[in-house]
Amino acid sequence: MVSRRLHVSVSMIAVALLWGAMVGFAADPPIPIGVSVAQTGPVALAGQEQVIGAQIAEDYFNKHGGVNGRPIKLVFQDGGSDEPTAINAFQNLINVAKVVGIMGPSLSQQAFAADPFAVRAKVAVIGPSNTAKGIPQIGEFVSRVSAPVAIVAPNAVKAAMEINKNLKKVAVLYAQNDAFNKSETETFQQAVKDLKLDLATVQTFQTTDTDFTAQVTNVLNVKPDLVIISGLQVDGANLVKQLRDLGYKGLIVGGNGVNTAAIFPICKAKCDGILIAQAYSPAYKSKINDEFKSVYKDKQKKDPPQFSAQAFAGIQVFVEALRALDKKSPIAKMDLAALRVELNKQLISGTYDTPLGEISFTTGPGMGGEIVQKQAYVAQIKMDPDGTKGTFVFVK
Amino acid sequence: MNRTLLLQQVLNGLAIGSVYAIFALGYTLIFSVLRIINFTHGAIFTLGAYATYALTGSQFGINGLLAGAKLPFRLPFVLALIGGSLVAAVCGVIVERLAFRPLRARGADPLLTLVSSLGVAVALVNVTQYLFGAEPYSYPDPLEALPSAVNFGTAGQPILVRTVQVVIFGVSMVVLALLTWLMNATRTGKALRAVAEDMTTSSLLGIDTDRLVLLTFVISGFLGGVTGTLIGLSVGIAGPYFGIAFGLKGLAVIVLGGLGDIPGAVVGGLVIGLAEAFVPAKYIAYREAVPFALLFLVLLVRPQGLLGRAQVQKV
Repeated sequence: MVSRRLHVSVSMIAVALLWGAMVGFAADPPIPIGVSVAQTGPVALAGQEQVIGAQIAEDYFNKHGGVNGRPIKLVFQDGGSDEPTAINAFQNLINVAKVVGIMGPSLSQQAFAADPFAVRAKVAVIGPSNTAKGIPQIGEFVSRVSAPVAIVAPNAVKAAMEINKNLKKVAVLYAQNDAFNKSETETFQQAVKDLKLDLATVQTFQTTDTDFTAQVTNVLNVKPDLVIISGLQVDGANLVKQLRDLGYKGLIVGGNGVNTAAIFPICKAKCDGILIAQAYSPAYKSKINDEFKSVYKDKQKKDPPQFSAQAFAGIQVFVEALRALDKKSPIAKMDLAALRVELNKQLISGTYDTPLGEISFTTGPGMGGEIVQKQAYVAQIKMDPDGTKGTFVFVK
Repeated sequence: MNRTLLLQQVLNGLAIGSVYAIFALGYTLIFSVLRIINFTHGAIFTLGAYATYALTGSQFGINGLLAGAKLPFRLPFVLALIGGSLVAAVCGVIVERLAFRPLRARGADPLLTLVSSLGVAVALVNVTQYLFGAEPYSYPDPLEALPSAVNFGTAGQPILVRTVQVVIFGVSMVVLALLTWLMNATRTGKALRAVAEDMTTSSLLGIDTDRLVLLTFVISGFLGGVTGTLIGLSVGIAGPYFGIAFGLKGLAVIVLGGLGDIPGAVVGGLVIGLAEAFVPAKYIAYREAVPFALLFLVLLVRPQGLLGRAQVQKV
């Protein structure tokens, strides 16, 4: 009898608790934040890393109180690897999922196509990996947590000068049929001049080229101490391989196009030693980076890559901006349109301690939303002797 | 230009030219017999490269239907090359049965055959992407024990050529010699030449033309596989579209050398390679235009190509 009464009481308590919880959620639904990255297509490799970073952020911040007690909920919409898919995903997130802001898309060229839709709908967008020139200039609702090439790239040249103190002559090679690499090489060439180095030769190629013998011959003729390559993964890696095959022993700096383990199958052991500037380092010491790194490592059994860290930082900016805004004026009382506008204003005015280091954004008419990142990192590729596996080792 | 640099550029030109030549040999063989351009050659070349990769026991990447798959055995590179080329030869046979024979049986216009081969080529490339994904692959290097470059100069003034390119040059010369022998010194070669001269007459004379056409596709497919693998060894397998760029260049090579002429394909390849090597450093990225500009100039003077025979108009 006693046992039966106990059962009834426990059941009643459980029902009451469940009801209470349901009422609580109904009154306080999670805040929807849109994530539209490349889950399919050729860029899916990067997109998958971004999804992992964003999911870790969602769990992490919800465990740490969400937005002043209210959880966030990420709404994922595949942005694909092309412009039309990214545009559809943005439209869906804005009009159907009614998100407060969007993190995405994966590629700069997708951002140029999709971001204007968010700008017209007055929805804040944070680019997690868009590094081309002119992204924040798309409109007042566009920011990015991915440092542009112009800021990051010269660090690799400085690192090369640290390694070889007698570095003087530089040869630059770039893919002239690719807009990103053309703009990147301008940054590199300017950095070479600013650092008072001798720009001995500039060689061009096409991203579709496979044989670089002619360019390598021209480069070897000037006997450079440093070769800087702006190309994509296959052409860039082949160029490195052929430079090494034909006897080049000096330092090599690679641009963002070769900032991927996908070059390893092509240049194998000859990828060893390439210096590449990075926007993130797992070795960066801070509480938030240590926590992020430990959750990522538990899940993926490796150090987090840049794409995951940037995605985490993007969600973090939204969460912290929402917290700050909620403290100023409770967001539960705002209608969606007002909340979207206020959130954008709030997020570009804040400073955030992220796994990337301390970041903030530029403000001002027509020039807001650009990331200001305090820390800069350079990695050097270290390959196993058999050339099958490699890692990005951070240069101190 | 000093003497060392001149020699270096000549060797660079011969090295890349031999790549074009060996690719164009498969093309020209089919043209010499059927008088049609086989656009599937680039796709078969790519498939052959992937087949060799699989036979070396290497693992496929993370995209595509065969993501993470690998064969339970591992062949030494030379055996894998032969196996991969045989797979390419089988593909050649399938292509002949699907895209060429039905049209030939109906006496279709050669233009239709051209379009049909283009269609099969696009389909093959897409099947390759579906199966193996779009990421690059490269072989376990069989030349690892050798130095990465051969010095044709002195220690003080080196003239370096990558070892793999020296190998490709050697193989293309051997393939050329074998093909020339096959065409000129064997009964099969004579029969092939008879079919090339006039298919109907040779059929009336008792030559099994269908069998010989099939044999041509087998040899061409096999050559495609060998070439795809060797070029893959030099520059990696850049993805499913890897053979397409070579296809276009190969077309320029066989037209320049003389359509359907086997030594012409080699001469055409070497001439284009040399012309590309001598493009001034400042304009090097525009060297893709060189073969076609050269083709235009040669065709103005010799419409039949460098070594081709003038076609007698049959009215």
